[in-house]
Amino acid sequence: MIGLEIHCQLTKLESKLFCTCMANYRSFEPNTNICPICMGMPGTLPRLNKKAVEKATMIAMALNCKTPQKLGFFRKNYFYPDLPKNFQITQLNLYGPTSIGEQGKISIEGKEIRIRRIQIEEDPGRLIYEGASERTAITLVDYNRAGTPLVEIVTEPDFDSPRQVRIFLNVLSDLLENLDVSDPTLEGAMRADANVSIEGGNRVEVKNIGSFHDLEKAIHFELTRQTSLKERGIEIAQETRHWDDKRKITISSRSKEEDEDYRYILEGDIPWVVMDESSLDSWRKNMPESISSKKERYVTKYGIPGQVADVLSSDKYYSDLFEQAHNETNAKEIANIITTDLMGLVDTREKREQSKLVPKHLSDLISMISTGKITKSSAKNALQEIVKTGKSVSDIVSSTGLAKISDESELGKIIDEVILQESTAVQQARENPQTINYLVGKIMQKTKGKADPTITLNLLKKKIGI
Amino acid sequence: MIILVTKEDIEHIARLMRIDIENSDEYFERVKKILGYFDILDKADIEGEDIPVQEVNIEDLRDDKYIAFDDKLIEQLKNYKGSYIRAPKMN
Amino acid sequence: MNLGISAIEYIHGIKSGSITSEEFVAKTLEHINKVEPRLHAFLSLNNNAIDQARQIDKKIKSGQNVGAFYGMPISIKDNISIKGGKTTCASKMLQNYVAPYDATVVSKLKSQDAIIIGKTNLDEFAMGVATEFSAFGPSKNPWNTDYVPGGSSGGSAVSVAGLESTLSLGSDTGGSVRNPASFCSIVGLKPTYGLVSRHGLVSYANSIEQIGPMGRRVEDVALLLNHIAGKDAHDPTTIDSKDQDYLSEINTGIVGKKIGIIKEMSSGAGLDKTVESVFKNAVAAFEKSGAIIDTVSLDMVEYTVATYYVLTTAEAGSNLSRYDNLRYGFDMDSEGYEFKSYISKARRNFGPEVTRRMILGGFVPSAGFAGKYLLKALKVKSKLKKQIQSAFSKFDFLISPTVPVLPFRFGEKIDDPLAMYLADINTVTANLTGIPAISIPYEIRDGLPVGVQIHANRLEEKQLLQAAYYLQSTTNLPEIPL
Repeated sequence: MIGLEIHCQLTKLESKLFCTCMANYRSFEPNTNICPICMGMPGTLPRLNKKAVEKATMIAMALNCKTPQKLGFFRKNYFYPDLPKNFQITQLNLYGPTSIGEQGKISIEGKEIRIRRIQIEEDPGRLIYEGASERTAITLVDYNRAGTPLVEIVTEPDFDSPRQVRIFLNVLSDLLENLDVSDPTLEGAMRADANVSIEGGNRVEVKNIGSFHDLEKAIHFELTRQTSLKERGIEIAQETRHWDDKRKITISSRSKEEDEDYRYILEGDIPWVVMDESSLDSWRKNMPESISSKKERYVTKYGIPGQVADVLSSDKYYSDLFEQAHNETNAKEIANIITTDLMGLVDTREKREQSKLVPKHLSDLISMISTGKITKSSAKNALQEIVKTGKSVSDIVSSTGLAKISDESELGKIIDEVILQESTAVQQARENPQTINYLVGKIMQKTKGKADPTITLNLLKKKIGI
Repeated sequence: MIILVTKEDIEHIARLMRIDIENSDEYFERVKKILGYFDILDKADIEGEDIPVQEVNIEDLRDDKYIAFDDKLIEQLKNYKGSYIRAPKMN
Repeated sequence: MNLGISAIEYIHGIKSGSITSEEFVAKTLEHINKVEPRLHAFLSLNNNAIDQARQIDKKIKSGQNVGAFYGMPISIKDNISIKGGKTTCASKMLQNYVAPYDATVVSKLKSQDAIIIGKTNLDEFAMGVATEFSAFGPSKNPWNTDYVPGGSSGGSAVSVAGLESTLSLGSDTGGSVRNPASFCSIVGLKPTYGLVSRHGLVSYANSIEQIGPMGRRVEDVALLLNHIAGKDAHDPTTIDSKDQDYLSEINTGIVGKKIGIIKEMSSGAGLDKTVESVFKNAVAAFEKSGAIIDTVSLDMVEYTVATYYVLTTAEAGSNLSRYDNLRYGFDMDSEGYEFKSYISKARRNFGPEVTRRMILGGFVPSAGFAGKYLLKALKVKSKLKKQIQSAFSKFDFLISPTVPVLPFRFGEKIDDPLAMYLADINTVTANLTGIPAISIPYEIRDGLPVGVQIHANRLEEKQLLQAAYYLQSTTNLPEIPL
């Protein structure tokens, strides 16, 4: 049985959870994205970010959770250098339901994963250990991240396998991106801890997992470790272990949080937020269309094949492009060009940030293909240029001479050249007409993809006499 | 219900609160006496009372805008190597 | 020049040209230098006060718009932040702490041309009833310096009573404005919770404390309240004060109003006989006003001191966790220390009362004890609020002596914390329920001041000040023997 505790930063917010410093701290020099509030200076008070409540509510709704009538905040008290107040403002359901969501669920490949609780809380700062490990003399603290808005999602131990965990995390990632609340690809934007147990054994918490890749490994390791203990008749201790990334094992960290008592109290500086029906309704209406709903629409309305619709709907960047580029007639083609030819050019955040492509480029390309001005091959080549320069499709087609070659005499000359160079292949094609594509390919190479494929094939066949 | 508070309880709490206390029985007696006084709450007829809280409407919450703190705060704090805060080693 | 004039009289004087801010401030500083060795009201003074006063005089002379305070000297309790100046909270933990921002109340006063004459002494982190727990030495009661001035805003009360400032801002968590006001024979108001912004007030018990105006006259306190009240975006617990003018119509009187004497605070073994006698005189004065007097019983009062200390120690324990000397505080290098031991060593700079409350504050919400102490205290708070609301459905005001005992000598209560805590029995109810309450000086007996307390319902400070103004008009207090 595996359960997860996932921390998601709301990176799409402008400001931190309780102050007006920037929510995305990544571009700042150490300790320059701070203010008296997130530094917990004496006399400062937290000012709750309205959009954080809105976005967190959308996450709760997307995960089918119940939202409370009133949102309450609590203090989790413990001493740590990354915690400026030596307490974290978080949510609890200590006096009735007051966290942003509870008792939700989501389906992963037919398996229902129950969401126990979702809560809004603040991220602490970051510690940097000078030297190799935690045991060096100096700990450096950077508080730029302190106060960044987090949503913590706690699942029931419903996962059966590490693979299911991985799929869930991908789905969750896409969901958060689709809701426009977070960019999960940013470093540290999504972190997860796991709790792992096997039949008849105690629950073990595994923390300090750096990436989702490591998470799968860590869970796998834990299951193996626990199974092995059980087989030898040794009791599995209920404990907290941390993932050692270098040795790829989990290590008991029992001493770290021994008898930690968080002495939870109400956060008296944040009045309870009344979650009125009209706000909830308006947020529900403003929620971006869900991924599954998009997929359904792409398949049924536009006849886009399932797999293509999958890729398109689960990536907000692609679906946004699609929504803006397509019209009544070219939806399938737009979907196709995005998920095949464009993909490799914009598959990372950096590439997407630098790309100069706009939706009109795609619709222009498809239009040129359908009116016979360029071939699909040429369109693929043009995309590279478009992404790099943003020039209009007509500019690129004329300047780089991408226009389709349909002129039979021009094509005829090129075909004659290829026939001359590829006598063996010609002979093969006469014997086995299926192999003619090799020659077609050569002609396409020579024309840099501009040759009209149909005319080329017919002409070629005529010339070699098949 | 009267819960007996022991010296170990008090020492444990002091550790949690990062407070060094002198190891004098007089100190423990004083804290125990005050905690004993708090037992008066057991007599209060408060069954069924709610938790008192202040409420606020969603519209009154802060708008999500980035506004930088205009002074260089790190220069006014105990800083180390120019821009870090230095904490003692962790164990 | 008479430093004992009221704030209202000062403003008249400035407007009529008979005094200037510079003269008054200079005279004040001279007086401060003379009496401070005896009184120790201040922890720090404003070295630019005279220059600032001069600037304000220029403004006045040139006919420009001048703020409501016309360069009047006001003192501020040293747990309220002033940018660029020390805010020590009378603690060694913050002995070098300089705030990077102004408290909202300070910004407001500055924008109204008040001169902040200095920061006043308090019990360390506002925890105490006598200012004996200041890490920098106690303040002395100007009526008799062998006696405590009350606390925790003792320095503020002394500065006003001792004519070292015209007005002061203190803070009241369980009586810390009203108690020293009573002990020093001045007026002190704890506003409705949320009326005055706490942005910049160093938190002790954030769910019940308020900054409170202190002065020698009720009308002065009303003036000060006018300029510090109001919703503040920096403090989300503030509420809309509907722009009330607390000074206008303050002499309306209280004919026909219904006044309830809180039985549990005005009788019984814990009440000093002298205090009881003074209170009876105040009741008689109220009877002559045309108001209707009766007694009311609030049985939850019996549990208020325990409730108060359970809740405030829990909050204090959390609010003071940030003092680990890593980011600000005092000089202590972290070289060679391990994290836990560094913090424990640094926190030895808390005084004994703060330390005691940290331990209690760790206990009360801890895993084994939270249900017993914390939850019960919250429920008492809830029931008490209901009882108070029920009382206000029958009465306009609720009255009691401010403190059940006379000012006491230094060292008298310091060894018995529980006895000290019980001195709060009459004042904590207002904090726990969020209602406003004021202490008026009523009589001096055997050279020691006795004050009377009036409560009103939430946001009814205007009426409260009218009742206080009436009671003040029936007093005949001697001048302070300075």
